[in-house]
Amino acid sequence: MSKLLAAWLLAASLAAAQDPRQIMQEVQRRQQSQSQHYEGTLEVIGHGSRIATKRWVFDRIGAFGNSKGMLRFTVPAEVKGVGLLIVNHPDRASDQWLWRPNIGREQRIALQDRSTRFFGTDFSFEDLEERDVAQFDYKLLGDEKETWKLQSTPRKSSQYTYGYLWVKKDNYTVVKVESYNKKGLVRAIDYRDFELAKGIWTARTIEVTDVSRNSRTTLKYDKLEYNVPMKDDDFTLDALRRGP
Amino acid sequence: MRLLRLISWPYARKHLLRWLLTTAGIVLGVGVFVGMHTANQSVSAAFRETIDKVAGTTQLQVTAGEPGFGEEVLEKVQSLPDVRAASPVIEATVSTGKGNLLILGVDMLGDRSLRTYDLDGTDEAIDDPLVFLAQADSLIVTKTFAEKNGLKINSRMPMRTMQGDRVFTVRGIMKPGGLASAFGGDLAIMDIYAAQMFFGRGRKFDRIDLALRDDVTLAQGTAKLRALLGPGYEVDPPSSRGEQFEQTARIYSLASNITSVFALFIGMFIIYNTFAIAVTQRRSEIGILRALGATRSQVRTLFLVESLIAGTFGSALGVLFGIGMAQAMAGYIGGILTDVYGVAQRADGLDLNPVLLGGALAMGIVTSLFAAVIPARAAASVDPVKALQKGRNQALGEGESRMRRWAALACAAASAVALIFSRNTVIFYAGFVLSGITAVLLAPSLTLWLSRALRPVLAGIRPVEGTLAADSLIQGPRRTSGTVAALMLSLALVIALGGLARSSYNSLSDWMRIALNPDLFVTTAQNLTARNFVFPASLGVGLRAIPGVAEVQLVRSVRVTVKGGPVMLVALDVASVERRAKLPPVEGDQADMYRRTERGEAVLASENFVRLHGGRLGEILEIPAPGGTLRLPIAGVVRDFSDQQGSLLISRDAYMRAWHDDTVNVFRLYLTRGAREAEVRQRILDAFGKQQRLFVLTNKDVRDYVTRLTDQWFGLTYVQIAVAVLVAILGIVNALTVSITDRRRELGVLQAVGGLRQQIRHTVWMEAAAIGFIGLALGLLLGAVELYYAIEISRRDLVGIDIGYSYPVATALALAPVILGAAFLAALGPAESAVRGSLVEALEYE
Amino acid sequence: MIHLRGVSKQFEGKSKVTALERLDLHIDRGEMVSIVGPSGSGKSTLLNLIGGLDRPTEGEIEIDGEILSALSDDGLTRVRRDKIGFIFQFFNLLPTLTSLENVSLPLHLRGWPRKKIDERARELLELVQLTARLEHLPDELSGGERQRVAIARALSIFPPILLADEPTGNLDTHTGAEILKLMHDLHERLGATVLIVTHDHSVAESCPRTISLRDGRIVADQHRQALNQEVSRA
Repeated sequence: MSKLLAAWLLAASLAAAQDPRQIMQEVQRRQQSQSQHYEGTLEVIGHGSRIATKRWVFDRIGAFGNSKGMLRFTVPAEVKGVGLLIVNHPDRASDQWLWRPNIGREQRIALQDRSTRFFGTDFSFEDLEERDVAQFDYKLLGDEKETWKLQSTPRKSSQYTYGYLWVKKDNYTVVKVESYNKKGLVRAIDYRDFELAKGIWTARTIEVTDVSRNSRTTLKYDKLEYNVPMKDDDFTLDALRRGP
Repeated sequence: MRLLRLISWPYARKHLLRWLLTTAGIVLGVGVFVGMHTANQSVSAAFRETIDKVAGTTQLQVTAGEPGFGEEVLEKVQSLPDVRAASPVIEATVSTGKGNLLILGVDMLGDRSLRTYDLDGTDEAIDDPLVFLAQADSLIVTKTFAEKNGLKINSRMPMRTMQGDRVFTVRGIMKPGGLASAFGGDLAIMDIYAAQMFFGRGRKFDRIDLALRDDVTLAQGTAKLRALLGPGYEVDPPSSRGEQFEQTARIYSLASNITSVFALFIGMFIIYNTFAIAVTQRRSEIGILRALGATRSQVRTLFLVESLIAGTFGSALGVLFGIGMAQAMAGYIGGILTDVYGVAQRADGLDLNPVLLGGALAMGIVTSLFAAVIPARAAASVDPVKALQKGRNQALGEGESRMRRWAALACAAASAVALIFSRNTVIFYAGFVLSGITAVLLAPSLTLWLSRALRPVLAGIRPVEGTLAADSLIQGPRRTSGTVAALMLSLALVIALGGLARSSYNSLSDWMRIALNPDLFVTTAQNLTARNFVFPASLGVGLRAIPGVAEVQLVRSVRVTVKGGPVMLVALDVASVERRAKLPPVEGDQADMYRRTERGEAVLASENFVRLHGGRLGEILEIPAPGGTLRLPIAGVVRDFSDQQGSLLISRDAYMRAWHDDTVNVFRLYLTRGAREAEVRQRILDAFGKQQRLFVLTNKDVRDYVTRLTDQWFGLTYVQIAVAVLVAILGIVNALTVSITDRRRELGVLQAVGGLRQQIRHTVWMEAAAIGFIGLALGLLLGAVELYYAIEISRRDLVGIDIGYSYPVATALALAPVILGAAFLAALGPAESAVRGSLVEALEYE
Repeated sequence: MIHLRGVSKQFEGKSKVTALERLDLHIDRGEMVSIVGPSGSGKSTLLNLIGGLDRPTEGEIEIDGEILSALSDDGLTRVRRDKIGFIFQFFNLLPTLTSLENVSLPLHLRGWPRKKIDERARELLELVQLTARLEHLPDELSGGERQRVAIARALSIFPPILLADEPTGNLDTHTGAEILKLMHDLHERLGATVLIVTHDHSVAESCPRTISLRDGRIVADQHRQALNQEVSRA
């Protein structure tokens, strides 16, 4: 049913690309992959930040919005082995568990805590989720030269009340996101250094700016691969406990 | 006013020392009152403050008694839409060798929506939150604590945990203020899951702190959470913990109230005494005043105003003294209460309550005024003609004495009647007061009789000095009987408290002999009451395997709320306890009560639980537990001293089912015949000491500990004893000073006809000794009565255990030299002043 | 027996009062001397100094070979208890003690054995003719009786010196005369040195020697040998 719908939507989008939901669905379709693997480098560039640069290995399986991701820290030595399992759900917020090898137990990250910052970076836990377009309402705000500017409003629980997205017209990639809450702009995310990998345009650098703290964090993707063979079994709580 | 300056001031200046001594009683009375209550209130305030500061913006707390509850409860609470944020907490106090450190285990991810960590340096709590979480040894300390102990970021700090000795790393420093100032700044934050591990808590939380959504009221939130969680969980605002704590502190308020009333009562006597003497001494002066046209009411007002001034001065001084005393006592009371309620607090500053201080001031002044009423009336009724005639007038009117004796008889009869109807609390306390009044009314007559009886005895020791000393007492009953009454009251208090202590010791040591008979105790701390750490049940298996161990009893004690009060629930293997340490029932059938308790169908209640919380045999108690409310009848009542608030004994199985908790506080070990205590102890330490935080206490260690704990409890009463004795000394000094003044001429004659100075001193000393002796005799006698009341009060309202009457003979014997020595000490000054003065003046003295 | 050499006594107060000024006086053993003078002339002060109740500001007092100024307070007391008996105007009996006990007092203070004390006290009370009043308290005695008890007390140790300050001052004329007679009698029988401070001329004149004081100085020192003999015989 949904596949049929997607096909129909695809056809429709070509005809009338002005519809915001169709734009976003096209964005999501073009990002579609069965699995993903990369090595990330996370750097906080705040003033006087003492947060060490971290590296991790990330694997993801499943379709966008319904995927599972496993993140393992590798550097620095103090955090090596710490893992994060993210199970996304198409209809609600994700489940997230943190694995702490030092005390030998996992810790569920509560929904209420998703707005907290991801280990001192400028990301929040929520920013790590994949949320299906169906979880948002969209409005087209402007048709700029190379990009569309859209407004997204989450239907389900979120720390944000709305956001602006800029989508490139030529390849349907999101290049910038601004997220707002009642008080105003919270975070801005810039997507840069796009590269075509296995037919998917992927930003190799993501930079998030926390407006209130005036601090930036960059995440760089290395060894990016799509559709490599992976097993569902490696994305369970047991797998999280097992370690890499 | 002019009269005051013209008449009173010169007199007061001349007798400055005596005025100061007089006010000393008020100073002490007001001081004790202010001191004890301020200390109590400061501790309470510190407790509330710690709760407040630790609570942050927490609106409600979910608890389930001391054992805590499983982690799944957190998800349940967080799932409630009305809850904005919920964060689990574990609290523990750890002794670091640099004082106690309050450790707060929180979920570092979510907790900051409830608590603000004002952090040093950058706006971040910690340099790297991921490192903090990834490394279990991470700790955030306050700046105060860091500076005190020379700690910096990444400094190492050793602590003894359930995993043995571990070195922790400081990974964050909080700025002073707010949370960081709770518990006097001796506070550290640890990740809650690390804390679970280090404190052996398993996958449990002590409580959940939560905040509601803005559109949800406290009442709505509380109701929803209660409905969600069911019985066994408590949902209360943080402040309610303070209220429970204050309820516990009530005992100390009651005890301190009794002491202050006693001190003030004694102070009142000293004032009455001084004024009565002053009126006698100033008779001729009063006579002249009256002859010159002063009205009776002017004379009366003069004396009342004098006492008002003395009372105000003494009360003000008493308030200052009390504040100083509170400073010293706050820590002491705090320590005891922390143990009872398990929440750490530190009273660093004093909480001065203006109402309390004002009240104390008023109390002192009123007491002082009240004490002066009778002497002032006596002064007003002085007949000017008779007063101007020469000669002494000291003797008590026979009519006055007779009236007093009748009144005493009436009071004695009334207090005897009160005893019959003593079930009623008001009547009982009235009887208590009446018995004291009887003694006070009888004091003058008894003093006179005893002085007469003593005369030949003293004369036998030293013919002149002894006779004169006795005569001085007989001639000046007014100046003596006040002091004797004060001394009598304070000694009665000492005897009552001493007897209470002794009786408690007796029944305590009985209990220890029966109940505390295991050979070894394996505990998580040096003492038996610390419940911050717990053992896994599996350790019991390991202990049983140690050669020389015959039997291991697993004991889990937790504080739960039953009948609205914090009660100690002791879970243990009832069958094994019945076999090894069978407590005889106070009520109930012995075989039946153990059997039913063992099957988990009933509980055994301690005697003090029954008394303090109004329980009775067969009553079905509702004990809230996470697994649902337990409804168990009281199968038997036993004498158990485990806890001041009362204890309930439950079978370990029933406990584990209801609380989902199989941890252990204490293992009680019985050794096989012939096994050597020290060797087994060493074997245990060798086998588990490295990877476990554990202490192995011998039976003697535990008994010593319990005894020490009781000593501590009575430490407070020793303070009261000291106060009482001090007041007595002041009374004697006062009486002697007056006696010396009265007898200056007599003592002068004695010297003129050849009395050596040493002989003069002897007569003063003997007078002091005689006062001391009479006070002692009456005090020991009255003490026997007061002890009865003390034991009753303790049974009814304080401890709830019937400890049996046992007169403290040793204390009484020890008091004799103390009081006679004190009397001698008190006599030194007056004796010297007696031999120093000019002979010529003394002989002309009138 | 009694030597005063350049004795002065001043009282410190708001202003300095000189009670005695450079007094020289010599009294032989066995003399009976009266000291007269108006109020404030220093006669009581003189008596107090001789009795060792007070110390002079200047000068030297010698009693039976002992220089008082060289003695400690207890030394002074010893001189008093061994050598001096006091008789006061207001008797200064201890109100709680019986006649017998009052008389025994100085003997007890010397630590005599009880039996000997009792004997001596009774003997003395007999001497002052109070055998019937042994067990009475001072309040139960008349003025004259009280003074006789006081005299008995002063004599209890057979002191070589007897000092009396207005012994008849608080008594009516008749009783006064009786007491005076008693004193003469005792002087004669016991041979003690007697000093009497008095206002009463008849008392003064009954003594063989009278010293008159005015403003702290001796203005007259009168010997009256013959008269003394007559009175004593009377």
